[in-house]
Amino acid sequence: MKLEDFGMDTITLPGPLEAKLAAIRDAGFTQVMLSASDLASHPGGEAAAIRAVRESGLRVTGLQVLRDFEGLAGRLHEYKVDVAKSMLEMAQGVGAPLLLVCSTTSAHAVVDFDAQVADLRKLAMLAVPLGVKIAYEGLSWGRFVDDLPGAWARVRKADRSNLGLALDSFHFLAKETPLDALDDVYPNKLFFVQLSDFMWSAPPTAEERRETARHLRVFPGEGAHSDALAELIRALDRLGYEGDYSFEVFNDDYQQMQPALVAERARRSVEWITSHVSRRSLPVRRSTTSAVARGHAR
Amino acid sequence: MTASERDRQRAGARWVEERLPLPSNPLGIRGIEFVEYATREPLALGALLRRMGFQEVARHRSREVLLFRQGGMNVIVNAHADAVRESARSDAPAIVGLAFRVRDAAFAHRRALELGAWDMPTRAAEMELHIPGIHGAGDSLVYFVDRVDEFSIYDVDFIRAPGAARDPPALFGMHWFGVVQSVFADRTDDWIDFYTALLGFERLDASHFVGVLPKGRLLRSPGGYFYLQLVEPPPGADFVEWDEQLLRVGLGTPDVPAAVQGLGERGIVFVDREPLRPTERGALTQIYMGSVCFELVHSDGGDADAEKTG
Repeated sequence: MKLEDFGMDTITLPGPLEAKLAAIRDAGFTQVMLSASDLASHPGGEAAAIRAVRESGLRVTGLQVLRDFEGLAGRLHEYKVDVAKSMLEMAQGVGAPLLLVCSTTSAHAVVDFDAQVADLRKLAMLAVPLGVKIAYEGLSWGRFVDDLPGAWARVRKADRSNLGLALDSFHFLAKETPLDALDDVYPNKLFFVQLSDFMWSAPPTAEERRETARHLRVFPGEGAHSDALAELIRALDRLGYEGDYSFEVFNDDYQQMQPALVAERARRSVEWITSHVSRRSLPVRRSTTSAVARGHAR
Repeated sequence: MTASERDRQRAGARWVEERLPLPSNPLGIRGIEFVEYATREPLALGALLRRMGFQEVARHRSREVLLFRQGGMNVIVNAHADAVRESARSDAPAIVGLAFRVRDAAFAHRRALELGAWDMPTRAAEMELHIPGIHGAGDSLVYFVDRVDEFSIYDVDFIRAPGAARDPPALFGMHWFGVVQSVFADRTDDWIDFYTALLGFERLDASHFVGVLPKGRLLRSPGGYFYLQLVEPPPGADFVEWDEQLLRVGLGTPDVPAAVQGLGERGIVFVDREPLRPTERGALTQIYMGSVCFELVHSDGGDADAEKTG
């Protein structure tokens, strides 16, 4: 694995968009995962934000994050469809190939599995003409979907080409999801992986998971689950995952540090990963694994 | 449209209605009502269409929009400034609209929106045809039309061209066969989802390939009235300018060599070098006006084909 395989989420860094982009680039990264708020709250407006991203020379990994979309009805559904449309247009405008979507936490969402699947299909359809992919992620405090298998069940059932999974190592570790959950996933349906660790054992309640996730994440190599994290990345490699990795490290302390210092920690984390996880598999091994896995797909 | 064609169309409509709801044809699609081009040069495009056998039958009351027809095929040439400015990315004409005949246009529109289609922008509504539509490939729109028999969508907004026949016959039995759409690399499956989920198209395997350019993926409309061919950029063609758009129309004809010869006598030039040399299976015209070309495909006749294969 090389530095080019990794990028940073802007939410990991403090400061204005331009300072974040400069810090990411100066640390040697070539890609950035943007937040919609980077564009929406830019003092120069969305066009100026898009210009800044283009001028940074960084490749855009994707745009986050659409929340609480699936399972709503009536006016709430219409409202969320409007929100989704504006985020999809933003993704297209800034050249983001995928939109990250988190499993719903809404008390208004319905329990009906098929209704959730229908909404994911609708979202994927909205994204088709714009050329954007939808990466669906199970939040570890989601209402109906709180882990990878739950997200995969819906993505698999929806069966849309531009709808796939996002795996966030925080949620994977926090829910103590077994590694063999990955065995069921078609490699071509895993669109995106976000990496972070945290400082203590798995938080037992959804509330604790949310608090930890939003304030107390650390970079891989800095946390309490280094072995498990290295094992997860190795498993993703064996699965045949060839997509992007991005550091999504919500941490209140990092918000009070120079962006360059935080980006430097991210770079050190890449070194930690590459020293603990062998390089991306040898071509022979990967092609064998991928061919077998693809045989199951569609 | 001739009387016999209208009869056949009504028979087709009954055929659909008697079997509804058909999961394979959720919208009751029964063909293409029109193909719309936007252009800054309506006279030049009109002259080209005439050479292809179309005749100008009507023009819009208030806008620079012309209706050409031959047999069951309608072509709208839209030179209205807004349409050209917003739809055409260059000066070359572009296919900006594809209108499907459906059982109930309002239902088709509503269903598409519920499934995640984008409603058409108000600009298109200003063409005053009062027909609903959704976003398609690139800047193009997909329209839904249900008034095709006694009182057509053209009767209100269009004025018959002086001396024009209402239903000029088709040369060489030509009829709509399909449309070729370019897609970005690895986007074919996304567009297959679009056409199968929204419109009920069916994906065909490679053995169904027709015409002169057997590449990409082929989709067949419900009832077999119409085909879509999705084409990704050729491998290693990073330098080629490539966009997602409707590239060209395919015209079916029962006798490709006769059509090639007859259209050649009318001044249409066909590509005549391998691997695109005209055959009994199909032929491809040269590119006119920087973007417009037509593909001929062997086909015995729209509705008749539909009954055989649908």
